[in-house]
Amino acid sequence: MYIPRFPVLAALVASLALTTGCLHFGGLEDEVELATHVDDWRDQVIYQVLVDRFADADEGNNYRHDITAPAHYHGGDWAGLESRLDYLEALGVTALWISPVVKNVDTDAGVDGYHGYWAQDFNAVNPHFGDITELRSLVNAAHEHGMLVIIDIVTNHVGQAFYYDINLNGQPDIHLQESGQPGKDPVIHITEYDPDFDPRGIQAFTSLGEAGPAPVIFQYDPATNHIPPMPELFRQPEVYNRKGRTFNFDDPDQLLHGDFPGGLKDIDTTRCDVKQEMVDIYARWIEQTDADGFRIDTVKHVEWEFWRFFAQRVRQRLREQGKRNFLMFGEAFDGRDDLVGSFTKNDFPDSPTPEQWANEEACAQEAGGPPLTGDQLDSVFYFPQHYQVFRDVFQQAQSTDRIEALWDARTTNYGTVPMENGIGVAPHKALVNFIDNHDVARFLWPLESRPQTEQRALLQNALLMLMTAEGIPCIYYGTEQEFHGGNDPANREDMWDSNFDTTQPTFQWTARLIELRKKLVALRRGDTNVTWSTEHTGAEQDAGIFAFERTGGDAEGAYALVIFNTHQTQDSATVFEGEEMPVSAPPGTVLVDVLSSAKPGFTVGPNGTLAVALPPMRGALLVPEADAGGL
Amino acid sequence: MPAFVAALVGSTAHAQEAEPTPAPEANNATASTTAGPAPNAPATGTATESPTPPTSPANTTSNAANPADEPENNVDATNTSADTNPAKETSTGEKKESAASETEAETATETAAGQRPPNFADGFHFGSYGRVIAGGDATGRPGRDADIVGRGSRLDESNYAELELRREDYWEQTGARTRIVTTVAFAHPVFHYDGQFSAKLAVRNLYLEERDLGVKGLSIWAGARMYRGDDIYVLDWWPLDNLNTIGGGLAYRFKSDTTLKFHAGLNQPTDPYYRQSVLRPPVHNQLGETPVELLDRQKLISSAKLSQLFRIGETGGVKTVLYGEFHWTGAGQRELDPEVYETVPADLGFVVGGEVSLFTGKRSTHLNLYGRYAHGLAAYGELNAPRQLSPDRTAAGAREWLIALGGNYEVGPFGLLLGSYVRSFRNASPALDFDDLVEGVVVARPQIWLGKKRIGGFALEGSYQAQQRGVLVMSQEQGTALRPLQASMGRIGVIPFLTPGGMGSYQRPHLRLIYTATFRDQAARSLYPTDDVFARRPVDHFIGIGAEWWFGSTSYFRD
Repeated sequence: MYIPRFPVLAALVASLALTTGCLHFGGLEDEVELATHVDDWRDQVIYQVLVDRFADADEGNNYRHDITAPAHYHGGDWAGLESRLDYLEALGVTALWISPVVKNVDTDAGVDGYHGYWAQDFNAVNPHFGDITELRSLVNAAHEHGMLVIIDIVTNHVGQAFYYDINLNGQPDIHLQESGQPGKDPVIHITEYDPDFDPRGIQAFTSLGEAGPAPVIFQYDPATNHIPPMPELFRQPEVYNRKGRTFNFDDPDQLLHGDFPGGLKDIDTTRCDVKQEMVDIYARWIEQTDADGFRIDTVKHVEWEFWRFFAQRVRQRLREQGKRNFLMFGEAFDGRDDLVGSFTKNDFPDSPTPEQWANEEACAQEAGGPPLTGDQLDSVFYFPQHYQVFRDVFQQAQSTDRIEALWDARTTNYGTVPMENGIGVAPHKALVNFIDNHDVARFLWPLESRPQTEQRALLQNALLMLMTAEGIPCIYYGTEQEFHGGNDPANREDMWDSNFDTTQPTFQWTARLIELRKKLVALRRGDTNVTWSTEHTGAEQDAGIFAFERTGGDAEGAYALVIFNTHQTQDSATVFEGEEMPVSAPPGTVLVDVLSSAKPGFTVGPNGTLAVALPPMRGALLVPEADAGGL
Repeated sequence: MPAFVAALVGSTAHAQEAEPTPAPEANNATASTTAGPAPNAPATGTATESPTPPTSPANTTSNAANPADEPENNVDATNTSADTNPAKETSTGEKKESAASETEAETATETAAGQRPPNFADGFHFGSYGRVIAGGDATGRPGRDADIVGRGSRLDESNYAELELRREDYWEQTGARTRIVTTVAFAHPVFHYDGQFSAKLAVRNLYLEERDLGVKGLSIWAGARMYRGDDIYVLDWWPLDNLNTIGGGLAYRFKSDTTLKFHAGLNQPTDPYYRQSVLRPPVHNQLGETPVELLDRQKLISSAKLSQLFRIGETGGVKTVLYGEFHWTGAGQRELDPEVYETVPADLGFVVGGEVSLFTGKRSTHLNLYGRYAHGLAAYGELNAPRQLSPDRTAAGAREWLIALGGNYEVGPFGLLLGSYVRSFRNASPALDFDDLVEGVVVARPQIWLGKKRIGGFALEGSYQAQQRGVLVMSQEQGTALRPLQASMGRIGVIPFLTPGGMGSYQRPHLRLIYTATFRDQAARSLYPTDDVFARRPVDHFIGIGAEWWFGSTSYFRD
């Protein structure tokens, strides 16, 4: 019987050749073309997502996850987030800030790197969240939904990469040892993973005394991804400051050169090779994804000179490829307004010596590109406002004059000149406002003993402030679902527990506020004019009242007046001892409270004043009657 | 003796492949990246558990002397995948004892008007399949499976042997025939390799079969059994059907050269997907702890197979097979944390497939074409557990399709063995990931028998395999286009052999030398973890000496 064997064989070889390309990646493998997807970042509403906790659409990447333990991986991934874009679209947010995307130390001391801040390989994706195609897909899908994507990055440190072999025995130890120091505890606790800061660098010592710098020994445990960091540069001990764990954050040396608590090894960010590598690493992530901004972790632990180099070179590199208005905002977890603001100024807050500046310029020249200027970050996370406004006033009912005082200092403490090639808006007008985030207890946490109606009223009043204050509002995921977790990691709840309920009252309230912000240019781009604040917190007529106008600036003639009663028990009004609140709206202007279903009107008096009374824990958003139609 | 000769072939990875129980992490990218070499990871159940001997040649129960009789007498029409029994043409005493016990007996039965001479098969029978090889690479390291695809060239397979003891009886009172089969299999390492007085063994058959009990042509069996169809020898693979369960089945041979087979069985792969044992306090205030099987679900696998033989000419023919499987496991619950439970949903899957076999009836020349589609739970194979699940935590959405071709052609002193397949596997996870793949292989082994009595010969083997994984590779260079992970590997082999049984592609035993050169591209090397020699070597050499035999085992005159 004849069998056509050779044609068959040829057909098989051909079919094998055809197997190449049989898996379709939907174009996600193609070259990424960078584009500018944003005009003015103040028009955006950021939604902060802890990817591991938001939505799990891919069981395949659920390695070592344990949803019963808050400090372990829970399974959320980029595909999950993408699958919930409709929910976010219903909420109205327009920018997603996603937790760090790079591969992390998987687990350390019983805690997982689910948050993303323990980098191990700066060039690899965290496989718990998906692969590069899923990250690209998320960014593409977000853009299709009219949303931007901000990637969280860390330059200050890597994860628990090495230990200091203090006792020179070649193994990591956690032990007690005699201190030998007069006046100090006779016994000291030493962990070679995370020893206390020593300005000389961590020293080796034995019972016979000190023995010079402690060797740095990189760990190697693939099971937990304790692998020497990548790229190669970060496998050199010299790249790290090696001074041990920061315990006094007021000490500049510790602040800048100490390991971050938890054994997160501090990188020497003054090194030129480190600066260049960081630019290359993180610009590549944008080039790989077309994401629209960076949220930058722990900026206060990194020198100003680094931010000058990093921010300018990243902007230049991306702009050359068509990415403009790229937002870089930093996180300085600190209530000190001047410190936080210093990272947005371009007047050299560190006053580098000529020699230092020469070194900076030499590095800049080596890296190519135009000479450096003083430009740094476009914006920062407005931590001082978190403390002084949302905590002190909206949570604790302290006096509202502290809001005005804080805001008045904006032009002093924050940059007033837009960064060259930056977002085109001066930092003091583009601060990222937030009520709470993944590093602090949720707003509702201290209020848990209060009746739910009060909790909700307080939160919704805070949300009104968030959506009407000058800057870029940022919502921490779950706020709209009234999540109320305590400090880290209790504040990192699983979003799926909410069932993504869009009927939840605070969800609807938030969506309404975002809708109003989108429609009212004054709320987005107007300047701020505080019309009422008070030191009163008792039974005074205006106790707890705070009011401000948003008008002028880039909003030109648009106008909005926002009034809060932050008092938690009494009605208060914009009146004290017969003096009503002066406003800039012309006398006779009828202002309508668009937050009230009754849409009550308030007429500006002949003296240009307005008296508005509000129940406790309530606010009003007044706009000219002519603008109120359709709102 | 050079070290590489003294070293027996085998490595952890290869030994694992040779295990009858497939590695549970076979489809788990994460596990494979942490636990060992990745390339063989995605093989499905059908691809991961075929350490046993070839079946298509030796199961060729068509009787060249009386071809018309054989199909009716053999309960299993699948055995006609090739037309002639090389053992009969070049028989040795052993071969006659084994294969003849099946074919000749049945032929004799038929020619005696339905009465089979008593005592023809009565008694104990012994059969075996085995392969042993000693060898290594150019640096003295032991040989090791180098395939990047699920099933590739078998020249670097590890040691494996089956010892089968069988009891057969004919019952005059009922006219029934009984067969009790026990097969013990041993995998590498053997004692002489590591000096350990232990063995890695498995019971691969333990069943009882009754034929013609009450109904002529009806076969009923129960027990633990390898339950297989036709294989592709050069790939050591049963592309369409290869089940390992404990259960039972029946088959009926119609007069029209049609055979219908049903089977249902259970198994429980060693995996938390099927079983979770928790510790609980003993009852009645006793101290200590006692295990409780909180999750303990089995997998039910049933199969159906319809075979039809069409005869062409005096000896040739075409066999067609329609095949299907159904897999099911029930719902259960498992414990996440103490007293924190979650429901595990029920899961199911199916297989549909078919085969067309052409055979000339002369010198084992045949060509078998297979097609198979598996879905859901069945896509992972019968002894695997799904790893990357769909959002509802089932295997829904997992799928595998394959097209395979195997055959043999012999003319004069020449022969050509062929094996090839193209396969696509997608796990249940919706996104493409490392476990998702398309792969294929072509293996051709031409051979020539030399000498007047054809006591030896040379075989050459050339193979090419390629695989695309569901991941894209980022380049650290400029440019953001991503490269699909697309690996390929080629191999050439030279196998001089001695064949005391004479000529025939499926004639065994063989004593042989093996030399292979394996060529892997950069992507293929990237499938191995850092410091693995396969990650570093674009070219590998292997040289070894070995033996292979089979005789008298149901593994290849199976039914």
